[in-house]
Amino acid sequence: MATEANKEANDIVENDEVVLSAEALTMGEAAERVAMASQWQLMWWKFRKHRLALISLVVIIIFYIVSIFAGFFAPKTSDPSVLQTPTYTPPGYTHQSEYVNSPPMPIHWFDSGAFAPYVYAFKKTRDPDTLVETFTIDPETKIRLGFFVHGDKYQVGLHGTPVCPPEWSDNLICIVLNPVLRFVRNIHFTSEVHFFGPVNPEDPFYPVGADEVGRDLLSRLIYASQISLSIGLIGVALTLLLGILLGGLSGLVGGWVDNLIQRSIEVLRAIPDIPLWMALAIAMPPKLDPVFVYFGITIILSLLRWTDMARVVRGKFMSLREEDFITAAVLDGVPRYRIIMKHMVPSFMSHIIASMTLSIPGMILGESALSFLGIGLRPPVVSWGVMLSKAINVVVVISKPWLLLPGLAIFVTILAFNFLGDGLRDAADPYHT
Amino acid sequence: MEKMSETLVEVKDLKIHFFTDEGVVRAVDGIDLDVKRGKTLALVGESGCGKSVACRSFLQIVHSPGRIVSGEILYTRKNENGQGEVVDIARLNPHGRRIRSIRGKEIAMIFQEPMTSLSPMYTVGNQITETIRLHTEATKQEAWQMAIDLLDKVDIPKPDRLVEEYPFRLSGGMRQRAMIAMALSCNPTMLIADEPTTALDVTTQANILDLMLDLQQQYHMTLLFITHDLGVVAEIADEVAVMYLGKIVEKSDVNTIFNEPKHPYTQALLRSIPKIAVTREELDPIKGMVPNPYRRPGGCPFHPRCAKAMAECRTVVPAVTQLNDNHTVQCLLYEDLVGEKAMEQAK
Amino acid sequence: MLKYILQRLLYMIPVMFVISILIFVTIQLPPGDPISKMMENQRTQINVQFSEQDLEMMRARYGYGGPLHEQYIKWIGNILLHGDFGYSFYKREAAGKVIADLMPLTLVVSIGSFIFTWVVALPIGVLSAVRQYSIADHIFTFIGFIGLAIPNFLLALILLVLGLTMFQTSFTGLFSSGEIQQAPWSLAKVGDLLKHIWIPMIVIGMGGTAGLIRIMRANLLDELHKPYVEAARARGLSELRLLIKYPIRHAMNPFVSGFAYLLPSLVAGEAIVAIVMNLPTEGPVLLNALLNLDVFLGGGFLLILSLLTLVSTLLSDILLAWLDPRIRYGS
Repeated sequence: MATEANKEANDIVENDEVVLSAEALTMGEAAERVAMASQWQLMWWKFRKHRLALISLVVIIIFYIVSIFAGFFAPKTSDPSVLQTPTYTPPGYTHQSEYVNSPPMPIHWFDSGAFAPYVYAFKKTRDPDTLVETFTIDPETKIRLGFFVHGDKYQVGLHGTPVCPPEWSDNLICIVLNPVLRFVRNIHFTSEVHFFGPVNPEDPFYPVGADEVGRDLLSRLIYASQISLSIGLIGVALTLLLGILLGGLSGLVGGWVDNLIQRSIEVLRAIPDIPLWMALAIAMPPKLDPVFVYFGITIILSLLRWTDMARVVRGKFMSLREEDFITAAVLDGVPRYRIIMKHMVPSFMSHIIASMTLSIPGMILGESALSFLGIGLRPPVVSWGVMLSKAINVVVVISKPWLLLPGLAIFVTILAFNFLGDGLRDAADPYHT
Repeated sequence: MEKMSETLVEVKDLKIHFFTDEGVVRAVDGIDLDVKRGKTLALVGESGCGKSVACRSFLQIVHSPGRIVSGEILYTRKNENGQGEVVDIARLNPHGRRIRSIRGKEIAMIFQEPMTSLSPMYTVGNQITETIRLHTEATKQEAWQMAIDLLDKVDIPKPDRLVEEYPFRLSGGMRQRAMIAMALSCNPTMLIADEPTTALDVTTQANILDLMLDLQQQYHMTLLFITHDLGVVAEIADEVAVMYLGKIVEKSDVNTIFNEPKHPYTQALLRSIPKIAVTREELDPIKGMVPNPYRRPGGCPFHPRCAKAMAECRTVVPAVTQLNDNHTVQCLLYEDLVGEKAMEQAK
Repeated sequence: MLKYILQRLLYMIPVMFVISILIFVTIQLPPGDPISKMMENQRTQINVQFSEQDLEMMRARYGYGGPLHEQYIKWIGNILLHGDFGYSFYKREAAGKVIADLMPLTLVVSIGSFIFTWVVALPIGVLSAVRQYSIADHIFTFIGFIGLAIPNFLLALILLVLGLTMFQTSFTGLFSSGEIQQAPWSLAKVGDLLKHIWIPMIVIGMGGTAGLIRIMRANLLDELHKPYVEAARARGLSELRLLIKYPIRHAMNPFVSGFAYLLPSLVAGEAIVAIVMNLPTEGPVLLNALLNLDVFLGGGFLLILSLLTLVSTLLSDILLAWLDPRIRYGS
């Protein structure tokens, strides 16, 4: 079978060039479009396909908007008589003692065919046999509701920014920081328009029930979201900072630094998280200012969680160091910090964002677990976990199931963050099909 | 001569489509092929032309969302009585017992990536004996001895030790030899080799090719060789089919393809090969890119890149033109030619 | 292999040493000392009397009031040399005994949850991957997400409420009554335990199961289209044999390494659930020990739980090396 073709074959150089010329350019227009698009564009295209992630993003955005403008969305606002500390003004609420432990009031949207939302007032009746007080609808009294009604005064903005207490006034940091903090604190506006509520601000309105001192649970839920939602973000920001810093150092410097950081991570990972959180949370003095408790809890939560982030970052740095485009940049004499900032960080930023989103639920869960046990945040601070701690007793839950509502809020938030993180993670790998 | 070119597998108008979210990709778009018993057929084309998908359909292992939409793959097998029996593989249930008894036993396949085609979790011996024990009555010990013999046959040194090694401890060439040994384990009638040498370095490539040719003679195997490397084609093939975007654009024996290529694509492919010559020539790569599979060009799929494209090429899909007994081409240039010839003859 | 295990065991010593320091410091962080705290408790409950002499003796014994490092050396020395975890001021008995009494049931509940997690997650994860985008996959994915999103203490609470309102039974505790709990072990007691343990098992294992299903599904999806699977299919293996021998075996790795973090996280998760469900395990006692500044009991618990984590990491590494020749050969 020694044909001419076989002879010719001997003349052919079996060389990569052959492969290249035939193989090299195989993509079509769509692929061209893909090749031209920026990384973020690709991610967005892929993210859009993840319907649940998209819905979750919307839900999360709504949650945060409601949380930021809590005063506007909550039907009731602060009552100045509630306990305050020098740095912390708790969101209190007008409370009506006759509505202590009131069940939810069902909202009627139409009155004789026309749109005119109202609720019936409740009246208490005592069961002649059991002598138990129960709430019954009082059909005589309709409480008119409306959108954009005038009610309690509230503030929206950065008025909650802590300032140094007076007793620290000679502290140097305070002298420098306080003017800034005061300025930031002034960035807010005051209003008395509420999104939805009773037309007459004095009227009782408990759409999801009242707590044990007659405060509106919906308003508390909305104010509590400020703590619960922000603790996740701040905690993750801290985690990210520690993780990128230490993980990056570990991956970039290598050697004994890497060794030290890796061993520290191993040690931290060997300590079970919840018992350690419990120990640390208890270590915080109970009389500590709520603002410090808040940051303390956040730090405690991030203390163990940064190790995951550090591992991701280190792994990425390690593998990127071997990549051709980094080698090319090094050979081109690009300065090191520039390589890191321009080439390395962008190439794994998307992964970082995705894993950040996925670690927010852990933070929210941690806070609520600690507060639920009564060793995290404590009243007068209100978070979903603090509210849930009222429901620790089963008998209470059975008689007042609406106390579990903060649990629903936690559930929805975590669900949304998980879906969002999942979508982001899928999108973070735009070239992966 | 007639007996030599007995057909083993006859492919008729085979269509394999991939049903993806973005649309339907016609990976294999109506091909006809004759695989002759004992011969080597090379299927040549750029990556993405559908050659790998086409050869996978011979074993019904086209993965979803791909599906054989229509056409026949008529495989002539010998049944228990030694008589010929024609099976249409395209109609067999991909999970069924019948196709499984063909896979690995009658038609074996080796793959492009010897690094990943063997599982790192099991020893080489474990994976070879698996096939033997599946298709024969051999006991564990017998199978193990057969595995050692097979490894010896594919020129692996110290086969009795290597049989107990894990694949990741072997070099690429050794792994491909082990893959070949595995494919040979049941004396297959036909061996499908999907770019078996692409992932190997040049010297190993040559060794593996020699080994395969050698074994083909020994075992009287039919070889279906998929490659994009025309150098390899020249070395081993008897027949050549050139594929472009799911169609076989030209098909003939190896001499004809190399000496008288008719289709502009075949011609361009051959021109793009560097040759050792006294004068340094510029390489002449094919211009343009393989088009987006979702938006195939109308008419002749090659027309946007074709140097000889005419106005009609954009709209008219060329039919298969039989140039002579053993040479077909799918190009409008020759359709007219044959037409003219016929007209002349008619006159 | 033996050398590897020995190496790992030796390596645990310095890690455990650092952990013990960290735990000791953490335990010492709250202001006040446990002995004064006990005095305070004494004033409220006068049942047990400790004389000032007793307290002095104890202070001396545990080096209380001395510098921190001396206290540490005394503490860890007593544990290592005499197996003496110190005196629990809150439980008023040896801390070691309190721990030893509670650990078996804690481990039973945790390992039970662990088995539950594996047994449920493995088949569901495989099913979800093999039948990707099928109705079953969608349902399990959805349930998985819910399982991940619901805090386990909330799930415990909801189940308790459902138990009381719908079945008129209390799901609290691990035994039908206090007497059974106190009774020595017998077949009847084990039976009673089995009747009660499954609710805490589900509650504690829920989050882990959901996570593991997602991991298994993702891993298997990655493996299902690997070339070696296609090659094995081309050799004529049936789909089921193929699936078990190749992709599932390959996807098992992260599953096994999950052992390292899953068991400790179940023990940790158990703590909160145990408090809500009033289980006779370490959770409630640990919380009270910490709240009462009971240094020795709290520290002892944290130490044992950390050791448990290290041991389970070691076990999972050994298991991985045994399962995966690539790890065994260090490639």
